[in-house]
Amino acid sequence: MHPIEKSILALATMVICLAFSAPLTSVLVILFMAVLSILVAGIPARFYLKLMSLPLFFLVTGVLTVALNFTTTSPDSFLWGFRIGRYWFGATGVSLALAGNLFLKALGAVSCLYFLSLTTSMLEIFAMLKKLRLPPLFIELMSLVYRFIFVLLETTDRIYISQASRWGYANIKNTYRSLGQLVTNLFTKSHHNSQMLFTTLMSRCYQGELNVLENSYTLSKRNLLMITFVETALLVTGLWSCGYIRLL
Amino acid sequence: MSIEPIIETRGLGFSYVDGTQALVDVTISIPKGKRIAFLGPNGSGKTTLFLHFNGLMRPDRGKIFFDGREVSYKHHRLLELRKQVGIIFQDPETQLFSSSVKQEISFGPINLGLSRNDVEERVKKAMDDTGIADLKNKPTHFLSYGQKKRVAIADILAMEPRVLVCDEPTAWLDKKHEGQIMRLLDEINSDGITVIMSTHDVDIAYSWADYIFVMNKGSVIGEGTPEQIFYDLKLLEEAELERPWLLDIYDDLSNKGFLNRDNPPKTKDELLLNLANCVRGT
Repeated sequence: MHPIEKSILALATMVICLAFSAPLTSVLVILFMAVLSILVAGIPARFYLKLMSLPLFFLVTGVLTVALNFTTTSPDSFLWGFRIGRYWFGATGVSLALAGNLFLKALGAVSCLYFLSLTTSMLEIFAMLKKLRLPPLFIELMSLVYRFIFVLLETTDRIYISQASRWGYANIKNTYRSLGQLVTNLFTKSHHNSQMLFTTLMSRCYQGELNVLENSYTLSKRNLLMITFVETALLVTGLWSCGYIRLL
Repeated sequence: MSIEPIIETRGLGFSYVDGTQALVDVTISIPKGKRIAFLGPNGSGKTTLFLHFNGLMRPDRGKIFFDGREVSYKHHRLLELRKQVGIIFQDPETQLFSSSVKQEISFGPINLGLSRNDVEERVKKAMDDTGIADLKNKPTHFLSYGQKKRVAIADILAMEPRVLVCDEPTAWLDKKHEGQIMRLLDEINSDGITVIMSTHDVDIAYSWADYIFVMNKGSVIGEGTPEQIFYDLKLLEEAELERPWLLDIYDDLSNKGFLNRDNPPKTKDELLLNLANCVRGT
């Protein structure tokens, strides 16, 4: 699939999911993205579930605060509640529905982003940004940053190991000192690396632009049609479940 | 050597800004189409000299000639020189800038202004020649050190240089990958490309090179065929070089009469053949 197709699909679905406060749409989006990621893109189901459970902690804590209300007057509307001092804490039907809705909506949006990041490599995203006519300087910087994140991580790891093996992190005092040295060393090393990189690029006739071979993707009409169909279906479901349109 | 030189230097001198004399009066002539090794301890000026070969560094004194023509530091002449002389740097991590192997290798040929088809062709050929065709779509950061090294070589091969300069190509490699890289350099050389490498490994230099330069403290203190170099005991001592184990064994056994005194063996197999012939009494 063309990276632009994937991005349109993921982003449009996410917008629809966020635009409608309808549990039905959210559930549909979650299921749809799960099917796409697991069955079509071949992401192992176990791994996918694990990924989906990652944001659960934030979601649950966030949603709890929405579900819980507190009041000083008599808690008639509470379905369930408890009292601390003169405050009543509890959940009403409305707040529970709101919390559930929010939960599903957030999970739906997350699953859209997962679909994009699980199926699209950074390279495809760069190629897409180039197609979208972003300034080359911006894309070059992005790709250099992306490449050197890994070099930086590896260097950090090596320095850390060499420090730790010499009691660098044995106590608080050593830790502070080692951490400071790690950061400064990383900085000088990065500077040195960037200068070396410039030399090696010059050696290959670098003239100010990092031109490389782009993979050519072609947009498929079939895919675009299918995306339009799916998005329209989701849109109609959303409109219907929010009561904007009625079936005769 | 009587062969036409591809690179020549005359009285080359270079000092770093801190005053370190990196090169002192280097006058050498590198024969075309041969396998050249530079031997010398760390800090002896090998890398600095290499960076002069394609104009990445400019000498303070002296002249460099490429293919009989003096190196000029005008923009277009420098580009032309860098097309002809490719350098593979010691640490591939500083050379690989792209996250995609294919895009990484395409950088050089695109800079040469080739058409898309030609670039595709050269990238494919360079990947086939270095045996990394299967890594085409792998992100650079998932490659092993040996694989990165080969991508770095493919980077330069795709520009089809006439001289390939390798700074310590076998450093940090295990024996298996070292063998692979050396065989690769042999193949490249058999296509007529002059291959220049620096190394600390006297065994590799002895077996592989046609001609050896020995450097110490910024000067070239000796040059010659491997036999000439490794039978010059004074030179070896001055350069703090060991002798190749093949030569030590050959000399010892032939002095005791256990080996035929023909030519010193270049490989383990040659040594064993000599030994077998001797035992059989032929």
